[in-house]
Amino acid sequence: MCGIVGYIGKKKAQPILLNCLGKLEYRGYDSCGIAISASGIEVHKDAVRVRVLGEALSVLDGTVGIGHTRWATHGEPSKVNAHPHCDCTGRIAVVHNGVINNFYKLREQLADEGHTLASQTDTEVIPHLIEKYYDGDFVKAVELAVREIEGSYTMIALMADESKIVAARKDSPLIIGIGDRENYIASDVPALLDYTSRVIYLEDGDIAVVSADNVDVKKDGSSVDREEHKILWSVEDAQKAGYEHFMLKEIHEQPKVIRDTLAEYISAAEPAADLTVGDGGLEDMLILACGTSYHASLVGKYIIEGLVKIPVRVELASEFNYSGQASTRSRAIVITQSGETYDALMSVKRLKEEGCQVIVITNVVGSTVSRIADQTVYTRAGPEISVAATKTFVAQLIALYWLALPYSRVDIRRLDDLVMELRQLPVKVQQVLDNEAIIADYARQLAKFENMFYMGKGINYPVALEGALKLKEISYIHAEGYAAGELKHGPFALLGSKTPVVAVVTQDNTYESVITTIKQVKARQSPLLALVGEEDETIIQLADSVITVPQIDPLFSPVVNSVVLQLLAYYVAKRRGCPIDFPRHLAKTVTVE
Amino acid sequence: MKQAIVLAAGEGQRLRPFTVTRPKAMLSIADKPILQYVVESLAQNGIRNIVFVVGYRKEQVYDYMGSGEQFGVDITYVTQEAQLGTAHALSQVREEAEDEFLVLAGDNLIEAGTITDFVQIKPEAVLVKRVDNPVRYGVVSIDRGEVKDIVEKPAEAGSNLVNTGVYAFTKDIFKFAEAVLDIPDALNNMIAEGHNISALETDGTWLDVVYPWDILNLNDIVLQRMEASVGGTIEAGVSLKGQVAVGEDTVVRSGTYLYGPVVIGSGCEIGPNVCIMPATSIGDNVVISPFTEIKNSVIGNDVTIGPGCIIEDSVIDKGCVIKARFTACAGESEVRVNGEIPLVNVGAMMGEDCNVDNNVVVQPGVIIGNYCQIQMRKMISGRLPDRSLVY
Repeated sequence: MCGIVGYIGKKKAQPILLNCLGKLEYRGYDSCGIAISASGIEVHKDAVRVRVLGEALSVLDGTVGIGHTRWATHGEPSKVNAHPHCDCTGRIAVVHNGVINNFYKLREQLADEGHTLASQTDTEVIPHLIEKYYDGDFVKAVELAVREIEGSYTMIALMADESKIVAARKDSPLIIGIGDRENYIASDVPALLDYTSRVIYLEDGDIAVVSADNVDVKKDGSSVDREEHKILWSVEDAQKAGYEHFMLKEIHEQPKVIRDTLAEYISAAEPAADLTVGDGGLEDMLILACGTSYHASLVGKYIIEGLVKIPVRVELASEFNYSGQASTRSRAIVITQSGETYDALMSVKRLKEEGCQVIVITNVVGSTVSRIADQTVYTRAGPEISVAATKTFVAQLIALYWLALPYSRVDIRRLDDLVMELRQLPVKVQQVLDNEAIIADYARQLAKFENMFYMGKGINYPVALEGALKLKEISYIHAEGYAAGELKHGPFALLGSKTPVVAVVTQDNTYESVITTIKQVKARQSPLLALVGEEDETIIQLADSVITVPQIDPLFSPVVNSVVLQLLAYYVAKRRGCPIDFPRHLAKTVTVE
Repeated sequence: MKQAIVLAAGEGQRLRPFTVTRPKAMLSIADKPILQYVVESLAQNGIRNIVFVVGYRKEQVYDYMGSGEQFGVDITYVTQEAQLGTAHALSQVREEAEDEFLVLAGDNLIEAGTITDFVQIKPEAVLVKRVDNPVRYGVVSIDRGEVKDIVEKPAEAGSNLVNTGVYAFTKDIFKFAEAVLDIPDALNNMIAEGHNISALETDGTWLDVVYPWDILNLNDIVLQRMEASVGGTIEAGVSLKGQVAVGEDTVVRSGTYLYGPVVIGSGCEIGPNVCIMPATSIGDNVVISPFTEIKNSVIGNDVTIGPGCIIEDSVIDKGCVIKARFTACAGESEVRVNGEIPLVNVGAMMGEDCNVDNNVVVQPGVIIGNYCQIQMRKMISGRLPDRSLVY
């Protein structure tokens, strides 16, 4: 998991590379570096953030260069392990995103052949392989080098005195941005928004030869056509616009995201995907995802089971890939924000091989997953910069509601009410945001604790899991999400006055049961914060503090409750002085296993 | 002049319930906040460096205006923690201000032409306008193009030229602004110390919102100049008259009559058989059910209106759900606002996220707070506070 960029054109490459890398820091930021071709190759790298590297550099002259921001997999973050890596002559530089599985073998071979490898990284074998195969043809040398590599090797190579750069894609994403007599290469769209909206998505196995006025994409040695796409995301999406952190800005974008997504879904004449039940149609469903998307999938289980009335199984993509079984009769949904998550991609490939129909829900148009799935439902959340997912989670929920509603087997009056309430969601979420100050007050009280539990039941059980995930990833407080009924099977041993519990209470058939659990928790002296629909005297008596959430049908309550828990996590992390948008050891899109 | 400082921190208490969750500058007129008219006017006059002073409910401004990219300007934000006055607001931007800059109120609706001449003027200067009822404003006395003094809301006006709150300043203003709370006081002190402040008169649009029903006047005026543009799906059998704008992803169903000027946002479902009459603005994600008539009204985002309703001369804020046969018609009435009791001719002013059941009738001039719930067959008059339950 890393971000890579390249530039070739008339302008000075250095400021462009640094700017692009800054936009890719969400992919990793423990070290970074650039290589510029002027007279020879000049490499500058260190275990610092991009801004720090930029400040330390004087302006270099070259108009061709590559850059890298790293999330360490092989070798600790250090200057020597930072990219770009060079060959023995220092004339070839490479930046790489991926993991080379056979790198020990390659490394030994290269060492035997007399190459000197300085770092612990897998990447360093690539420039040496290119050096080994170079006989005057740079492109051919890269083609031969990547043939040796097993694993994922998305990379960009730069060579002194060449008027082109060569990029290769395998498993991790890579796009080419088309400019006016200049071209760009980057791991992801946000890096290029300042420069161009015309992009080409490379596919697995592609090798692109990029010069200032030409892009030639080859696969298996022959040229192929790759369609040019127009990017609809704007630079605006990558700015903080008044807010201190991207995360808070993105939390605040949610009413608009819901409204935009709904407008598009509702106005579409056809349902987003075919979920016809019975008569040879659907009998059950399988949903696969990782991380926050997994929590959205779990909510999806309750949505689809409640509306479409068929059994739904939800699994972690990373687990399913090793042991899961899928029936060819079941429809599968795979949810991945980036459309590039390694584990999600592997599970889509596997499901396809086993003959399943796969629907994917993703936020990135043109992402790898959308090209291999049978159907793609796009969430319209725009780019999410904060590592902690917020608006994309809510957009995934909206997509799941909209997938299920046209096939719901509930009576017409209930359906009409649900569609009407769905249209109210933007206002209800806005009301949560309007009451942010109250949530921030409670967050200040919680910030002093080191352990916390979140609990919910039914459709809000996954909301408890997601709330706990948000808290741990940005505030570093140890937090666990539990189904309310499960606390008594173990976790009670951990409760006490130093372990607060956040309870999500829903006005549905789970209500009485959750009240019982709350009483049990209070008997163990844990401070209790409850999220409830408006005006609930019972809870006010029981809980130490109460956050009232706007009233909405229980089916949609995960949306408003999640927004409350996002804000709670944000303000706890802020109080604790954490680097909210860039939590330690985490990266947004995990394209490695 | 390359820079503008726009004051958008104010609340607008007399505009409640509409300003409980948004600053006055974010009130929507013809489907755009007032602030957007100011920004677009500045951009059309070539001023792209804009500093917003925000305070009350500032997140609403961040969320809508962002960094200004979609409006073709570059916005930076400065926070005024307590809204003590316009001079105090201005004092917050001492660091950001360039040598010469414009100052404007974010909650007064202007058009590009209003400031075309003024952006060329040499500071210090005030933009003034001739109005019919000057005692509501700061009245400016002028002698040979120079301001003599500004008197706020005088009992008797010596002239009908009033201060528009649009100024051209140099950094000299900060010394005076920091000593007082409001800009006119700072100007009066400058004049007393012998500074020359010129006045330029405009006959361009300059509109203020003081009371909730002023939203209807502004909406009417702005809609008169609107251009037609039809997106979305218009089914066969829909009649379009005059200037009508319909947003993307909106469906207008058969038998519906849209009599412009009318603006309808995106993602709406209108009809079948709905009648939208002139001077009506409808936000995004709005549902209007069959046999409903709406006239001279402003409907916010995410509103659902049931069948057979009559809504005239009314403002319905975002997220309201109104069931069948709701009636809100205009008539003369006295409405109590902050101790004043003006006589007005309006329908209903309804705050956000209200739930109105079948067959509710409201009297003219009613003000319904935010998050109210009204059960079926009720007759409502006067003023309902926020979160009222009527049953």
